[in-house]
Amino acid sequence: MNDPVRIVRFSIFDRLFHVFIMVTFLIQAVTGMGRLLYTTAWGKGVVNLFGGYDGATAVHNTVGILMLIGFVIHIVYVLAKVEWKSWRRSLFDADSLLPRRRDVVHLGQKIRWFFGLGPPPAFDRWTYWEKFDYWAVFWGLPLLAVTGLPLMFPLAASRIMPGWVLNVFVLLHRAEALLAMLYIFIIHFTIGHFRRGMFPMNECMFAGSVELEKERKEKPLWIARLQEEGRLEEVMVAGPPRWYRVIYFVFGYSAVVVGLYLLLNLLIYRSYIEWH
Amino acid sequence: MDLRRLLRKAVLQAALGLLGAMVLWPPAVPAQEEVTSSIRRYKQRELSTGYYEEYEVKPRRQRPRVRAPEVIRQFTPVTPYRPGAAMGAGVRSRLEDSHAGIQFYEQRRCEECHVTEATHSRTVRGNLTCRQCHGGEPIAGINYYYSPMNPIRRHAYVCAKCHEGASVSFATYLVHEPKAGDPATRKTFASLYYANWFMYLLIVGTLGFFILHTLFWMGRETYHAIREKRKPEPREEAPPQEPQNE
Repeated sequence: MNDPVRIVRFSIFDRLFHVFIMVTFLIQAVTGMGRLLYTTAWGKGVVNLFGGYDGATAVHNTVGILMLIGFVIHIVYVLAKVEWKSWRRSLFDADSLLPRRRDVVHLGQKIRWFFGLGPPPAFDRWTYWEKFDYWAVFWGLPLLAVTGLPLMFPLAASRIMPGWVLNVFVLLHRAEALLAMLYIFIIHFTIGHFRRGMFPMNECMFAGSVELEKERKEKPLWIARLQEEGRLEEVMVAGPPRWYRVIYFVFGYSAVVVGLYLLLNLLIYRSYIEWH
Repeated sequence: MDLRRLLRKAVLQAALGLLGAMVLWPPAVPAQEEVTSSIRRYKQRELSTGYYEEYEVKPRRQRPRVRAPEVIRQFTPVTPYRPGAAMGAGVRSRLEDSHAGIQFYEQRRCEECHVTEATHSRTVRGNLTCRQCHGGEPIAGINYYYSPMNPIRRHAYVCAKCHEGASVSFATYLVHEPKAGDPATRKTFASLYYANWFMYLLIVGTLGFFILHTLFWMGRETYHAIREKRKPEPREEAPPQEPQNE
């Protein structure tokens, strides 16, 4: 049996960060949504899993602080990864997640391709929607932290800001969390896993590697660049072992099921959501 | 003889005094003080034990899933509050007894008139009862000078009962928050109103764009997959390069 050639896409740290954000995000989604829909029987049922409203709040607060710590560690990791001696190249080359002018061009090409008006864009290592996914989390997390921490410590917060700001923060926190959940459960799941060619699962974030031939089609410029620089052999790795695949299939699909279950209930009970 | 006259005079004076006392003594008001106190006298219980009971508002934990506040109002048999006959609401917030003159007041529950206030988050989630903040009867208007709810002392007299160390700033948190989407909120709580619009546009914009983007994408991929199936020649170039149907 000939295994397809695979190349590295995500380091072990990237994958750990992803698993971390998956687990913490889902816990926050469950404990947050249970309390958001506390006036419904479903919300009460969810909250009771955590020992009532106060229990769910305690879990939500603790995991929120964990997420914040994870975010700080991530920033340290990212800053350590930048080669500061050649920072201009390191920050703005094709391996960087920072947005470039070419991403806008790609988006235009992609939309033209939707209507059969041109060829699809040739992507480098990161596509514009992958970059959007990353930056959506990156600015969403601080917003949730900045609004969430004062709500966690209202007495201390009201020393440095008027108390009515907390009314606005509740609204911002809820709306941002709803946006994050809807985005992940609808768009991220669909683009990542349910799309034709990706179904049943896009394994690269768990396996860390991708099939070279598939990637030649999806991200031709990346492969071309690797060949040009002669690094293609360097990044070739063996595929994930079978037991590991079983684990991440079970794990990934549990996450998808939880997400879709939450999405379904979000839609069912949408009229009970208080925006503020 | 003298003694008998003296005794008669004393009895007469005592009777007159008693009559006067009966006239001048403030009358006992059985139910005005508390809505349900004639049966349970729970105000005394509240004061002596520090426990508040839940029956000023209907029990929220067992509240039915389908609620229609308008219907509750509609089925109310009488309309006790007649704004035409009584004073306007703006004046009421400055009264010592903000419910003065309302008919059948002692038979009513708070939430029968204050429908939305009873559904606000501190009532539903914080498990607060009306009286824990607004106090016992007579409930003073929040702007009445001596009211505990008056903003000049609310933080110390009301908030600090549970939130030790509550400040004036803390007390400006709005428990009965206006609806963020309501046009009237633009005047009463502008930052909440604009924050709501900002998040609304952000959500609709982001989701709207990316849902359409994903749908078109999947449609295009399906279109290519069907075309691929129809013509079985082996592909020479990369397949997504081919659509040129202009």
